[in-house]
Amino acid sequence: MSNSSTSDLLKPFKLKTKQQELLIRVSILCLVYILAFITRLFSVLRYESMIHEFDPYFNYRTTLYLTQHGFYDFWNWFDYESWYPLGRIVGGTLYPGLMVTAALIYRLLHFLRFAVHIREVCVLTAPFFASNTTLVAYFFGKEIWDSGAGLVAAILIAVCPGYISRSVAGSYDNEGVAIFALLFTFYLFVKAVNKGSLAWGLASAFGYFYMVSAWGGYVFIINLIPLYVLVLLITGRYSMRLYVAYNCMYILGMLLAMQIRFVGFQHVQSGEHMAAMGVFFLMQVFYFLDWVKHMLSDTKLFQEFLSITVTCAVAAGGIALGVGMASGYISPWTGRFYSLLDPTYAKDHIPIIASVSEHQPTAWSSFMFDFHILLFLFPAGLYFCFKRLSDATIFIVMYGLTSMYFAGVMVRLILVATPAVCLISAIAVSATVKNLTVLLRSKNKVAQIGSTKGTSSAKASSKASLDQSQPFQKNGAMALLFGAFYLLSRYATHCTWVTSEAYSSPSIVLAARGAHGNRVIFDDYREAYFWLRQNTPPDAKVMSWWDYGYQITAMGNRTVIVDNNTWNNTHIATVGRAMSSYEDEAYEIIRSLDVDYVLVVFGGVTGYSSDDINKFLWMVRIGGGVFPVIKEPDYLVNGEYRVDKGAAPKMLNCLMYKLSYYRFGEMMTEYGKPPG
Amino acid sequence: MAAHFFTLSIITLSLFVVASSGELESELVADLLTLQSESKSGVIHLDDRTVSKFLTSPRTPRPYSFLIFFDAANFHDKPELRLRELRREFEIVASSFITNHNSSNTKLFFGDIEFRESQSSFQLFGVNSLPHVRLVGPTAKSLKDDSDVMDQGDFSRLAKSMAEFVESRTKLTVGPIHRPPVLSKTQLGLITALLLLGLPLVAKRIFAGETLLHDPKIWLSGAVFVYFFSVSGAMHNIIRKMPMFLVDRNDPNKLVFFYQGSGMQLGAEGFAVGFLYTVVGLLLAVVTHVLVYVKDATAKRLAMLFTLLVSFWAVKKVILLDNWKTGYGIHGFWPSSWN
Repeated sequence: MSNSSTSDLLKPFKLKTKQQELLIRVSILCLVYILAFITRLFSVLRYESMIHEFDPYFNYRTTLYLTQHGFYDFWNWFDYESWYPLGRIVGGTLYPGLMVTAALIYRLLHFLRFAVHIREVCVLTAPFFASNTTLVAYFFGKEIWDSGAGLVAAILIAVCPGYISRSVAGSYDNEGVAIFALLFTFYLFVKAVNKGSLAWGLASAFGYFYMVSAWGGYVFIINLIPLYVLVLLITGRYSMRLYVAYNCMYILGMLLAMQIRFVGFQHVQSGEHMAAMGVFFLMQVFYFLDWVKHMLSDTKLFQEFLSITVTCAVAAGGIALGVGMASGYISPWTGRFYSLLDPTYAKDHIPIIASVSEHQPTAWSSFMFDFHILLFLFPAGLYFCFKRLSDATIFIVMYGLTSMYFAGVMVRLILVATPAVCLISAIAVSATVKNLTVLLRSKNKVAQIGSTKGTSSAKASSKASLDQSQPFQKNGAMALLFGAFYLLSRYATHCTWVTSEAYSSPSIVLAARGAHGNRVIFDDYREAYFWLRQNTPPDAKVMSWWDYGYQITAMGNRTVIVDNNTWNNTHIATVGRAMSSYEDEAYEIIRSLDVDYVLVVFGGVTGYSSDDINKFLWMVRIGGGVFPVIKEPDYLVNGEYRVDKGAAPKMLNCLMYKLSYYRFGEMMTEYGKPPG
Repeated sequence: MAAHFFTLSIITLSLFVVASSGELESELVADLLTLQSESKSGVIHLDDRTVSKFLTSPRTPRPYSFLIFFDAANFHDKPELRLRELRREFEIVASSFITNHNSSNTKLFFGDIEFRESQSSFQLFGVNSLPHVRLVGPTAKSLKDDSDVMDQGDFSRLAKSMAEFVESRTKLTVGPIHRPPVLSKTQLGLITALLLLGLPLVAKRIFAGETLLHDPKIWLSGAVFVYFFSVSGAMHNIIRKMPMFLVDRNDPNKLVFFYQGSGMQLGAEGFAVGFLYTVVGLLLAVVTHVLVYVKDATAKRLAMLFTLLVSFWAVKKVILLDNWKTGYGIHGFWPSSWN
């Protein structure tokens, strides 16, 4: 009696299997969405809600300007407060996607009467878009394999450290939005190729436009997609769907991309974009040949026609490219991207690019740090993809391999490889777990059938033999399943630890442990900038090394000489020369630039290791690259860089050293140690 | 009479001596020019005999300066000395100098000396460490003390810094450095011709669908290779030119294969780790797809056990190695009330 009443109570809640499955999927996706957002909030909880690093400060300043002055003023802004006396054309030298997105969210929240400050919106933009990326990863996984793989992909990418590193709360940088745009564009394109519909092609063109407006890494998309199309053509997978999808995306995407002033006419003029154009023309040739084949009935004639046409087309393309490059209309690959093809190029020829710590080649421990067990699952996923070759799996394999190669060249590009690695590993995990659970569940069914069936000996014996092989399989499957879950839980632990310890520090605020284990916070950077803001005249000009330029303009609100944009190497070299000359020469240079204040970062008191003394050799190298009067060996002793009293005399008397160590002898660094 | 004859003979003799020494000098220069044209890139190979002939015996001021590269064949294998690379750069500077002056210069000659052959010359110059480049000016009397040594910092930018050293000491211009291109013009022409000829054939095969490119297994092995190459950090080793292994500093007989410290790695280390990754991934794939076709149940079970054990060992090994290398202690965050 009670049994039936409880079952009556539960009846309205009893769902059919399909609805149960939908409920599980939606709840998992909601949890993953929230998880992706929460795991990026470590630094907000530990410190405060502020913008990290150096580059995000420029983005914050421009977003502030955008919300205060409107879009047209922002688009036509000439900034006279940086790169004094040259100024900077901001509207034409930035990627507006991030700023416009944040401003739109700000407007929306204000419309809904949430009076938030623009800084909060900026700080939380990246985690918000990371959560959106997990949703896109789910749909992408569903497109490539099935919905189970999509769910696993969403979970993996929510916590993967490779992505978290550039999308924590406070990291208000282009990559936070760009990875979302990248994955979204790829998803829309693969969907367009699978369906062959013009609507999806149009959507992918707009996705590409968003990506172009967000990040300079769109060059990866505009080269990967043509490469993918070429591979499909070579392996004989040409189809009308591919034709429609690629043409729509390329033409519309190119036209839309030209609206961004920073990109301009690069799609028809730069060598980096020529692959897309070449493949576009090749597609037309393929379509033409297909049409001719359809018209002709004689295959032999067609074969000859085929070979002649292809040769002519390729030769014509080659000649056009040659003429374009020789006449200078098509510019060759720029240094930034050329160093990806020839990795040793930057070290010898362009010291500014080689000096950035993110541009160093990757050791295997960095891969392990950022991917953990995903690295083991990657080749398994590759194998699975090859077993079920389709247009979509070919795409994900190509994306994975090219991005892994580039991630090996430059540490920073691990970010671009993360979605591919997560997706391919998700395929491996999902397929394996699916097989194992099918094994487990089928055994139960067989046992049930065996128990309810009759008592005939033949059936019993057959069931017995089946049962004999099953226990091993079932136990094996259980063990493997436990192993898989254990691995995934270790992955989650690793990711959380990495996020907490390694990727959640705002470089602008430093923390250390005091003598009694209490936490000591160094807020020196911001205190210095606010001192500048409050104690100097509003038109004062500040000279410092280019790392701090954005922060000085954003927080100190003063004009700077050089900043992180590094677009003018001679100007930076002038500053480097001033920093490394004797005081009287430096004074001449500084007065010629109208500088009132010089800012120097010195870490000798606290043991902070990335101060200007540490970066000094780069100032010498960059200055010496333009002004031969600065010679690096002058600052070294026997090839060694020393800053104690045994240092080179030029080093001891240069401006940087004098400013850093001014009256240092009177300071006490540690209790009980001699001063200085 | 006798006095006249005496003075005349003295004057003639001295004239003769001067003329002969002058002739001797022009003979020396001619000899040097011939040696230079015979040598591969304008670098004259010197030994004890030629050092005394061209450098110690002629009287100062000599009509030429000599830039000498000191070499030792048995040190070529030490990577930190970079002798082979510096030798090549030296040859490039020499050949650029000669081409820029249209082979008509007689003021500066380039030479190299090998340690085994000419030990006494090394002693004459007072050279006891390599790499070493020395400029012997026209007025240098003692080879050890009066010659200019190029210091270590000038080796950093190779040919350019060597050229600057020459220009600053001898006031002679070297001119632009001519580096030989990777592919010569004839090679390039040949390659383009082959490509154009082969294009129609290749196109036809592609359309017929018979090329090697159509076999998925080729693509799979290519994919796994690219993965292995990236993940093992091989790019890092190539760019930074890391050696395969290092010799242990404390115990010269032991070899160090694994570098402790994150951000850098050695060659063998990268390959070992990459191999472990690939093995685990591929074993998983093999078990799922290939093992199904095996008929024998025992064989299947053994293979499964083997895969399980190997994967487990490999993953554990990699994680231990990573923890040792980076020194990180990764742990979960439990609520403090649970402790």
